[in-house]
Amino acid sequence: MSGRRARMLEGLDQDIREHIERETQDNIERGMTPEEAAYAARRKFGNVTQVKEDTRNVWSVVWFEQLVEDMYFGLRMLRKNPSFAVVAVLTLALGIGANAAIFSVMDAVLLRPLAMEEPSRVMYVQEQWRDLRPGLSVGNFHDLEQESTSFAKLCASNSASFNFATPEAPERVQGELASGEYFATFGVRPLVGRGFTPEEDKAGHGQVVVISERLWRGRLHEDSGIVGQSLVLNGARYTVVGVMPKSFDPLLSGSDLWLPEAFTPTQLADHDNHYLSVMGRLKDGVSPARAQAELSAIADGLRQKYPIDDKDRSFRVTPLTTALLGDQRLVLRMLLGSVGLLLLIACANVANLQLARARSRQKEIALRAAVGASPQRIVRQLLAENVVLGLFGGVGGVLLAYWGVAWVVAHGPADVPRLQQTAIDARTLAFACAVTLFSSLLFGLAPALRSASVRLSEAFKGGAGTSSGGSDRLRSGLVVGEVALALMLMVGAGLLIRSALLVSRLDPGFDTPNLVVGRVGLSETGYHDPTVARQTFEGILKAASALPGVKSAAVVSRAPLAGGGSSNGLLVEGREFDLANLVDAQLQVVSPSYVSTVRVPLKAGRDFTPQDTRERTLVTLVNQTLARSMWPGQDPVGKRFACCESGPKGRMDPVWHEVVGVVADVRAWGLDRQVAPEFYLPLAQMPANAWDWIGRTMDLVVRTEGGAIPVHELQTTVASVAPGIPIYHVSSMQNNISSSLERSHFDTMLLAIFAATALLLSTIGIYGVLSYTVAQRTRDIGIRMTLGATRTQVMRNVLTYGARLTGLGLLAGLGAALVGTRVLSSLLYGVRSTDAITFAAVSAVLVAVALIASYIPARRATRVDPMVALRHE
Amino acid sequence: MSTKEQRERIELLQGTLDLLILRTLRWGPAHGHAIAKAIEFRSEDVLQVEQGSLYPALHRLIKRKWIAVEEGTSENNRRAKFYRLTNQGRRQLEVETSKWDKLAGAIARILRPTEEGEP
Repeated sequence: MSGRRARMLEGLDQDIREHIERETQDNIERGMTPEEAAYAARRKFGNVTQVKEDTRNVWSVVWFEQLVEDMYFGLRMLRKNPSFAVVAVLTLALGIGANAAIFSVMDAVLLRPLAMEEPSRVMYVQEQWRDLRPGLSVGNFHDLEQESTSFAKLCASNSASFNFATPEAPERVQGELASGEYFATFGVRPLVGRGFTPEEDKAGHGQVVVISERLWRGRLHEDSGIVGQSLVLNGARYTVVGVMPKSFDPLLSGSDLWLPEAFTPTQLADHDNHYLSVMGRLKDGVSPARAQAELSAIADGLRQKYPIDDKDRSFRVTPLTTALLGDQRLVLRMLLGSVGLLLLIACANVANLQLARARSRQKEIALRAAVGASPQRIVRQLLAENVVLGLFGGVGGVLLAYWGVAWVVAHGPADVPRLQQTAIDARTLAFACAVTLFSSLLFGLAPALRSASVRLSEAFKGGAGTSSGGSDRLRSGLVVGEVALALMLMVGAGLLIRSALLVSRLDPGFDTPNLVVGRVGLSETGYHDPTVARQTFEGILKAASALPGVKSAAVVSRAPLAGGGSSNGLLVEGREFDLANLVDAQLQVVSPSYVSTVRVPLKAGRDFTPQDTRERTLVTLVNQTLARSMWPGQDPVGKRFACCESGPKGRMDPVWHEVVGVVADVRAWGLDRQVAPEFYLPLAQMPANAWDWIGRTMDLVVRTEGGAIPVHELQTTVASVAPGIPIYHVSSMQNNISSSLERSHFDTMLLAIFAATALLLSTIGIYGVLSYTVAQRTRDIGIRMTLGATRTQVMRNVLTYGARLTGLGLLAGLGAALVGTRVLSSLLYGVRSTDAITFAAVSAVLVAVALIASYIPARRATRVDPMVALRHE
Repeated sequence: MSTKEQRERIELLQGTLDLLILRTLRWGPAHGHAIAKAIEFRSEDVLQVEQGSLYPALHRLIKRKWIAVEEGTSENNRRAKFYRLTNQGRRQLEVETSKWDKLAGAIARILRPTEEGEP
């Protein structure tokens, strides 16, 4: 096209010249003087430049050339007006940067597919029991494996941690027990070696391990002959058969080891312990809904086959991605929504600046129209200017996002999966470009259209003294919108902050200062015997209590906020043995010193004593929540319930525990979580099975006299009692509490930053509109003052205008916030999303700031000198 | 140029100019100036083409392949570009002419309705 175009246009200049010459010649022949002839010919021909341009336009992809031209022009205009350019670019950079940063986080955490083959075909299977979704029992998994036809591959796993013996020191490594088709289900091949063979997943054969690339490159020093070597895990030897690539983390658990499940026949028959994560890859053509239907039917069968264990149980099929990342969705969407609002505010602000500028540019634009630019051409020209502005804003925004993301990765909550993988990449850049273009059009279109429609005569006639009503209405509307959007963000942030304050004032239920926690896991090898396990922990306890600086020490199966516990059904004495009568409660196994060490207030009865052994009456402590729900209005002390084990006569033979005391509720699952019913059993009376439930792992809790956390001392102590056994996750209880709140505090802080930025921008908006109005009306104000208006009246006038804009924005914002903050409900603790105090406080802040922003231009108005103002024109 | 003169001339619509160029070229190839002159002469100076506007129109027609351009020499032995009607252009001319006739007839009927209805 361009070749043909060049050829066609080649002789155009000459053609035109010759045309005019011929006409001149004709005119001379008609008797004109040469000068007259040439003049008449040129006149008859018309505007040569215009003709050339029109002809060129026939052949060109005009808009592109004009765009480039317009953008150059825009650049020159911006350079002429640097203060406007700087303010507009910074405002846009804030808006675009916040959006790009949050998008990039959302992309890394939510949107990017899991590192496996066709992740959308992998389903996560859970049991559904009442409103809980526990894992599957081995028995149910086994039956599912045999009966279901929806899945091409089906596997189970459960997490486990291992004491990994290295020449340096024993370490704790996170891993998983995985059934045979585990790797095949996710469709990921090992980097080196192979996965498990079906043989190795059978009981008694499974002495093999697959390790992660991270473990291989790190602690195993990239040993090229790793496959075939053996590792010592929990005291036993395992042969390495494969290394998985480092991207392989299908359950986002950070596992470094995979051992075969190798279920024993006893396990395969067990339908009572529900803990397996089950994943299945759908067969081609099978939809998730069809798989769900099939599994529901299988569950019907299982309920009939195992009326006790599978009573009320069914299966639940969820896409794996949803199951793993669903929790992140709400918060990330809320954040993206917030930065979206922020961007709108930024655009409104820049649009306002543009409108103000458009008035002073009216003459320039009118001039361009007069020399023949069409309205479309002018709109395009102004839009191009905005695109230039937007591009600078976009570049600034990407820079901001780059820093923002680095900051989020460094300071963000540790429990958000894949957050560390956040980076400004091509996708983020593409998103930033789209946002930039979108916002350029958004903030530029209204001012551009308005400018182009200005009639020429008006522009040349009117000075800058009068203001056009339409433009002012638009500008005021934009400010009202900004205030409303800012208010929404502020209400959201206010609610989260209020909720966080309430949570931080909550009583955790025990005395947190100078409390140190660490976890000790005994291995199966050497500590299989329950008595040995118990004696080892008692030994550790004794040695730890004797450490200098330690006031007392205790062990507990899972310390508060350590995440975990085992859920048990309790049967109150006097009620029939039926699953429907069971009360679900969390079990904690504790040493007799526990209650006094962590200082949980004892509300009634007595504490455990060292005399509470298996030979005596089995005793228990219950928390107030459990006491209330089991024996409402009665004294629980002396009452009995059955749980946790069965007597010699089989499953229906209850083993009774007598309540000897009631302790205060401990917020074991996080300060902002509801307290669960909880009961405590003494270490010396714990059922032998319970060692398996807690994985032979207990938390050592130490009350110190203050000072540094005695990490090294605790390590030595544990090693002296149990050689080769590490103590890990050692930290202070206060630290654990703050990290449990880290996540919600982080979200709150982000939203607060966005809200503050929104407030700042809309304040600038109010200030800008009022300053502009005052500048526009200098003459009006001067006249009124000459006619006797007092300074107070003038000031009141301007303030009223500001207050009216703020008030309208406030009303609109309050209305929108009432509806909009509903999405926050699940993130709030102790505050309703329509909390009147927050709404009132936020409105007050907004009004105060808006009045300050209005006061400055108002005062400027009172300083108008009537004489100067009247001479202004 | 007085305003009176201006009123008596009719400004050309873009499509009309295209039609007039095609019509002019039916007598044979011509160069730009000749086309302009022909249009002015044949309309007895009522239709005044601003001569420059001929060139965008010519290029538009070339782009649509209704006319073609070739180098040649003019009556006074000067090198010039000659524009010639293509077959496609000839067909287009017929279409445009009949469209124009219909339009002109319709407008005439609207403007002078009485002449038809009354004896």
